[in-house]
Amino acid sequence: MSAFHFEGLVWHWPIAIYLFLAGLSAGAVFFAIMLKHFKLAGEAYHSPFVQAAAIIAPITVFGGLGILVFDLTKPLDFWKILVFYNTTSVMSMGVLVLMAYQVALFAWIACIFNKMILQLLGDRLAFVSRMIKWLVKQEAAITGVLVILSISLGAYTGFLLSALIGFPLLNNPVLPLLFLISGLSSGAAATLLGGVLLRGNPNGIEVRFIHGIEIPMILVEIGLIFTFFVGLILSGGQSQVAALNAIGYGFWGWIFWGGVIGVGLTLPLAANLWMKVSADRKFTYVAVTASFSLIGVFLLRNFILYTGQMTGV
Amino acid sequence: MEHSKRQFLKGCGALLAGVSVYSVTKSPLAENTDTEAQAEIKYAMVHDENICIGCNACVEACREVNHVPEGVTRLKIDRTGPFGEYPEQSYRFNRVSCQHCEAAPCVRVCPTGAAYIDKKTGIVAVHEERCVGCQYCIAACPYQVRFINPETRTADKCDFCQQTQLKQGLAPACVLACPTKALTFGNLKDPDSDLVRLLKSKPTYRSKVDLGTRPKLFHVQIIDGEIML
Ligand code: SF4
Ligand code: SF4
Ligand code: SF4
Repeated sequence: MSAFHFEGLVWHWPIAIYLFLAGLSAGAVFFAIMLKHFKLAGEAYHSPFVQAAAIIAPITVFGGLGILVFDLTKPLDFWKILVFYNTTSVMSMGVLVLMAYQVALFAWIACIFNKMILQLLGDRLAFVSRMIKWLVKQEAAITGVLVILSISLGAYTGFLLSALIGFPLLNNPVLPLLFLISGLSSGAAATLLGGVLLRGNPNGIEVRFIHGIEIPMILVEIGLIFTFFVGLILSGGQSQVAALNAIGYGFWGWIFWGGVIGVGLTLPLAANLWMKVSADRKFTYVAVTASFSLIGVFLLRNFILYTGQMTGV
Repeated sequence: MEHSKRQFLKGCGALLAGVSVYSVTKSPLAENTDTEAQAEIKYAMVHDENICIGCNACVEACREVNHVPEGVTRLKIDRTGPFGEYPEQSYRFNRVSCQHCEAAPCVRVCPTGAAYIDKKTGIVAVHEERCVGCQYCIAACPYQVRFINPETRTADKCDFCQQTQLKQGLAPACVLACPTKALTFGNLKDPDSDLVRLLKSKPTYRSKVDLGTRPKLFHVQIIDGEIML
């Protein structure tokens, strides 16, 4: 059985990228909102990190959706998913969340950067200016709704897979939570990476704030991965076989231990703990640890998608 | 703070309103899952593994009648064996095709309602026009019997010949083609049908019942040959 081609494989790597990008977008927004709420307040729009999140979130969600559409056997029929709904379908619900999320996302971005946008517009397009002023008044509501939607979007990617009842590795209640947390951490990493690339201060309050959340989040993620596999192994039968196959040996075992656990979780955790002691954060430090996190989450998506489909009951 | 809380609640209200609009516009086809109770027909099939000789006549007949392109199939006869020593060797044959689940995972996950259960017959079918080819149903089917038809680019599988033979009042092609009459097709709700009589006279099993899919493809288990664990 080869790692990327085997009988019963339905969803290939494009779906893994879609799952990765959707989670990343949700995570970036989530952290941008947290930054504004707890640290930056009215100054948020100055911060390169918030700016990075505001660029990354729409691009990744569009990219993800684009991949989803092109992966259909009939891409031109995509609109049918928007017109016909099936309340029992996770995908149907998810597409709805995705749509609402995008609306809320743009409304929120308009609120945060209202001063810049209004300045840019000047006297032109008066109705746009009026709309933005109205949106600013609704900012609290938009923010709250966007937080809910981003969390839903992050969990949705996990629910999408856990609805596949024939695969014990996927049909697992911990999976949505694991995807949510890892999605959030990939969003945090992308925000950090984008922020320092936009010449944000690698030692600024934004980095310190996000890094402060990162350690508990990595610990939760390790705990979830542990629960995920121990749960599978303890339920015995096919679940046990599936779990041991996935993390045991072969290509995907290497990806799991080396990529997900090693590069994605252990290195950033170690770097973070070490940084607590010493003082100054440098550009390379922030960029490298963020890249490790991103790689780890990307590999996790591929690992779960492929090993999950390898072992049907 | 009070002000922002009220704002937030307002937003949540809007979200809820959106969700209720959503449930109004949901796909009517997908609702079929729990309304089949009153229907008079519920088709099912029995494959008797004692009679099946693995000739694949059913597979060929299905391909021809339902215009199934090469490379994909609605039906497979899985062969295991040989069991025993030559010349007393035997094989086991197992029919792999859509089980027409009553609680069909493929129907539950389909975002457009293209995968649906026909209310009148209990047949699990595909609405070709509605299918966008997301392949979610293919991944969700625990029996791995769904595929993308390379010609129509829609999800495809056994539909008990709903569009071909049944329309003309005939039995499914595979049933008619079987030289040993290993296949029995009929209405579960008709106590006088061959199907119900067979089900009442021989012990049968269904595949993967523990998943809760309630399949309507029954198998008569083979009695000769080795005992397998
Ligand atoms: S066997 Fe598969 S395709 Fe057929 S009804 Fe059940 S889940 Fe759907
Ligand atoms: S491939 Fe077609 S039938 Fe299957 S879930 Fe997607 S839209 Fe529905
Ligand atoms: S019932 Fe019809 S569609 Fe199904 S396997 Fe038999 S011939 Fe093919």
